[in-house]
Amino acid sequence: MTSDVIQLVLAGLLLGGIYALAAFGLSISFGVLNILNLAHGEFLMLGALVGYSLFAALGLNPFASVLIVVPVFAVAGAGFYWLLLKPVSRKAGPEKLVASVLITLGAALAIEDLASFLWERPVTGIAFSMPPLEIGGVVVSSLRLMVLLTVCALAVALQIILRRTFAGKAIRGVTQCVDGARVVGIPLSRISAVTFGISAATAATAGVFYVTLFQVTPSVGIPLTVKYLCVVVLGGLGSLVGSVVGGLILGMGETLAAYFFGSQWSPCVAFGLLIAILIVKPEGLFGARG
Amino acid sequence: MATGFRKTVRAFMVALLLATVVPAWATEPPKEIVIGATVSQSGHFSSEVGPFKRLMEAWADLVNKQGGIELKEYGKRLPVRVIVYDDKSDESTANRYYERLATVDAANLLLGPYSSPLTFAAGSSAENHQTPFLAICANSPKIYSRGFKWLAGVIDLGPRYTYRYWEMIKAEGKAKSVSFVVENTLHPLGVFEGSQKLAQEAGLDILSSDIVPPDTHDFTPVIAKLRDKNPDIVYVASNIPFAVNFMKQAREMKINPREFHCTHHSGVFREALGEGAEYVVGQSYWVEGMKLGDAGLIKDLLQSAKISEPMYPWAPAYVAAFQIVRATLEKAGTLDKKVLMDTLKGLTVETVLGQAQFHETGYGTINTYPSQIQGGKYVVIWPSGAATGAHVYPRPSAP
Repeated sequence: MTSDVIQLVLAGLLLGGIYALAAFGLSISFGVLNILNLAHGEFLMLGALVGYSLFAALGLNPFASVLIVVPVFAVAGAGFYWLLLKPVSRKAGPEKLVASVLITLGAALAIEDLASFLWERPVTGIAFSMPPLEIGGVVVSSLRLMVLLTVCALAVALQIILRRTFAGKAIRGVTQCVDGARVVGIPLSRISAVTFGISAATAATAGVFYVTLFQVTPSVGIPLTVKYLCVVVLGGLGSLVGSVVGGLILGMGETLAAYFFGSQWSPCVAFGLLIAILIVKPEGLFGARG
Repeated sequence: MATGFRKTVRAFMVALLLATVVPAWATEPPKEIVIGATVSQSGHFSSEVGPFKRLMEAWADLVNKQGGIELKEYGKRLPVRVIVYDDKSDESTANRYYERLATVDAANLLLGPYSSPLTFAAGSSAENHQTPFLAICANSPKIYSRGFKWLAGVIDLGPRYTYRYWEMIKAEGKAKSVSFVVENTLHPLGVFEGSQKLAQEAGLDILSSDIVPPDTHDFTPVIAKLRDKNPDIVYVASNIPFAVNFMKQAREMKINPREFHCTHHSGVFREALGEGAEYVVGQSYWVEGMKLGDAGLIKDLLQSAKISEPMYPWAPAYVAAFQIVRATLEKAGTLDKKVLMDTLKGLTVETVLGQAQFHETGYGTINTYPSQIQGGKYVVIWPSGAATGAHVYPRPSAP
């Protein structure tokens, strides 16, 4: 029983790594731009389909295909912002939120339908595997461990970018005070586009790892966005550390709930945690008050 | 007064004209046979039947090239037109489209959607509009227990879906225990219900049964229990996406039973798992090399529709359905719906998958065979009269 629980905790942590990576981008776009991007899951879906296509056509290792996916989706994300969201970026708070929800929801549905049209059947994952590790009777999936390590590396890299580069400091400046950032001459549109590009690139990277583990269909985007929104709220809007911790908590929660109460209770965990955190600490575990 | 009389006479003449012309329109013979259906071109079930609209159109083209179907009542051969919508693997969408097919599109006969849940929903539309409905890949007993008069199905009921597999296990006498992992949807639950009894009759101990939500991503809790139980057979009753996710994680967590049985194990499953799919047993209606019915028709239609059978193993069941439809129309000789339905229910016809008949409640007699993936190919392993190869048990990597 003890080894089962250790197995489950590990599995939950590894699953949570994928959630964390996908939630990064959502956290950044909401925390910095005050835009609720309901098309976030679509970038994950598209990243998964691109990762699958690169594997199927060229036999490219998923970890290597990330090197192609990141720059492509960074540009695509920036383009998405310029075309669809920049026109509403100057609106006041609630108007901007509603407009961003409607625009990104419409975009999500359009992307979903286009992907359904182009991919005849859902991608049931790629036949890429790594031999598992076994330590003291506990089996650890090497693939999921690599994903978790990649997530941690990306989190560190993003923190370095945010603290050491001009773009990163500008992003933090915009998060703290938009008007102040404008006054000191930070090009808001450009920084917003960069932020959105980072958001899309992290989602697409999560998609590449997602398709090595799970099935992907063109319709996974919106349900996943809702789940990652729970992770973001749990961890705190705009907090990268919060996204990682929130993802890990959700992963562990789902796995343990399935073992002790039955698999049918697993989907409730995300919403249960969301309700709990909104009652106890509405700003999230690592979010700032006020 | 004379003007009023003239008006009356004119009205009478118009009425007389209509009374003679309208009946003439009404008795004008139909110009074509309209067959309606939906296919899951997108959504959850598209991995099972996504391109099957092309299959239906290929069949219609083949029939029309042969001159159509002879209907004695009209003294001529009529061409076939198929109308196919995308049900998006969604029950309410399927129901809406079958309503449309039965009314606006005036289909003479309906072919059912893929899967028990969608067929369960769509069957009501056919019943309400009294249109013959032939279910194809749908075998939940719930579909046939509603007393519907306008519904028949090609295949046998779900609880008997894998009866040949359990016959084989009993005859071989090697396996002693089984654990079930079941996707919580209509068809897998029906299969599980029957397989539990058949496994017990085959003398196996049932060590565990886990019924799991269909969109489960993490199977660690289930697999952890399986590792503790260590059954000879892990039997996964599910659709393909569920089975793929489970098998990937089972491999990662190094569970190693003597056999994996995944009820649906098509080429899509095999492609997603690679060598992890080797020696997995599943169910097939037909594989290349089987001595069953006229395989030529299967091959011709699949070639015309550009569909690969291993990737879409339910295609032969659809071909059998087309043959049943054609036989029904030819025997009935009319497009009168009541006559068509009575003819269908009383039909006995040889198809590419063997003889097809219908039970009183509507379900059919065609069933699957256990097939094992060996060297990337599908081999039917039981019974000996239909088998194309031998059953490999235990799996070479099993202890």
